[in-house]
Amino acid sequence: MDDVLDEVVSSEDLEKFEKVFHEQLHQGNVTHKAQFEYAWCLVRSKYATDIRKGILLLKELFNSHAEGKRDYLFYLAIGNARIKEYNKALHYIKRFLEIEPTNQQVLALERQINKRMETEGLVGMAVAGGAVLALGGLVGLGIALASRK
Amino acid sequence: MSRCDFKIVLLGSEHVGKTSLVLRFVNCRFNSGTPYQNTIGAAFCAKTMHSNGKDLNIGIWDTAGSERYEAMTRMYYRGAHAAIICYDPCCASSWARLRHWLAELRTVEEDCKVYLCGTKKDLLDTNSTREVPEDIIATYSQGLNGHYLTSSKTGENVEELFQKIVDDCVADRDLMQKVEESRVQLAKEQEKDKSYCLC
Ligand SMILES: Nc1nc2c(ncn2[C@@H]2O[C@H](COP(=O)(O)OP(=O)(O)OP(=O)(O)O)[C@@H](O)[C@H]2O)c(=O)[nH]1
Ligand SMILES: [Mg+2]
Repeated sequence: MDDVLDEVVSSEDLEKFEKVFHEQLHQGNVTHKAQFEYAWCLVRSKYATDIRKGILLLKELFNSHAEGKRDYLFYLAIGNARIKEYNKALHYIKRFLEIEPTNQQVLALERQINKRMETEGLVGMAVAGGAVLALGGLVGLGIALASRK
Repeated sequence: MSRCDFKIVLLGSEHVGKTSLVLRFVNCRFNSGTPYQNTIGAAFCAKTMHSNGKDLNIGIWDTAGSERYEAMTRMYYRGAHAAIICYDPCCASSWARLRHWLAELRTVEEDCKVYLCGTKKDLLDTNSTREVPEDIIATYSQGLNGHYLTSSKTGENVEELFQKIVDDCVADRDLMQKVEESRVQLAKEQEKDKSYCLC
């Protein structure tokens, strides 16, 4: 309910921005603004299919509109974290921090994602490569399995 | 996850100091070393406060002031019990859109308590010149729940502002009744979840 990873868009809001986006799409001229606002609603939906759609729209924006990069990276991280694609989320956070290493909002999001991975028993999975991965991964998997039953 | 009892939303033009105010309040810190980072969309913070012998979880939504996000930040007004509208007394343009913010807020949350906050008091006290006349502010804040001049750098009046908000909320009987009800509801749901997991 609260927090950037839990808060959910209302269906009215989602529909409102969806309508604008589709109208523009129909006319063959989608503005960055309309696409961003729609994507931003989608990644805050409670349905994973919406979130995935939002991620696609954000990726497209990221590749075509350099000016808004910071916004797109941030919501790509949020969208991925919300569908538990934590490694992808952390990847976008890393790219953001390469541009703005001290951004408090992004650092807070990173901490939050790490905390979720920890409570969901996924810590080891985040470490890319090496023996740490094997060990951590197995332990993590064990915890994940144990907590699932 | 514990739910928030009160929701407070911050609004105001970009660069007025909303994020700094929240960070000072929650972390008791001011980042003078880092350059200005405009908030993306909206950020969330929570803190437990005390009032009238009660512990209360407050959730704070710090919205971005940049017009780029305006269509979206409005969504965070919904369900707010209190709003802090920030302006910088040394920046006339930060005052210009106040009426607009307030009207927006009122259309979404009619009963929301509204507090006006003049930011960067330390600058006002030293060398900056005031651009927003005091009498205008006084007239304007008459219809609101309070007006504070704060400094996130020194911390002056920051605690006072948030304490006043929580005290006002706790004194609001209708609001407190709703808070109690949702606490009971939450406890019930958690109880249900627990028994479900065990079997
Ligand atoms: N001296 C002084 N500077 C302040 C104070 N509060 C904020 N600032 C500075 O003002 C600038 C803007 O502050 P922010 O808190 O990021 O502003 P904001 O309102 O969150 O801006 P947006 O997120 O874009 O809407 C930063 O450089 C802060 O360091 C204060 O109380 N005193
Ligand atoms: Mg901010």
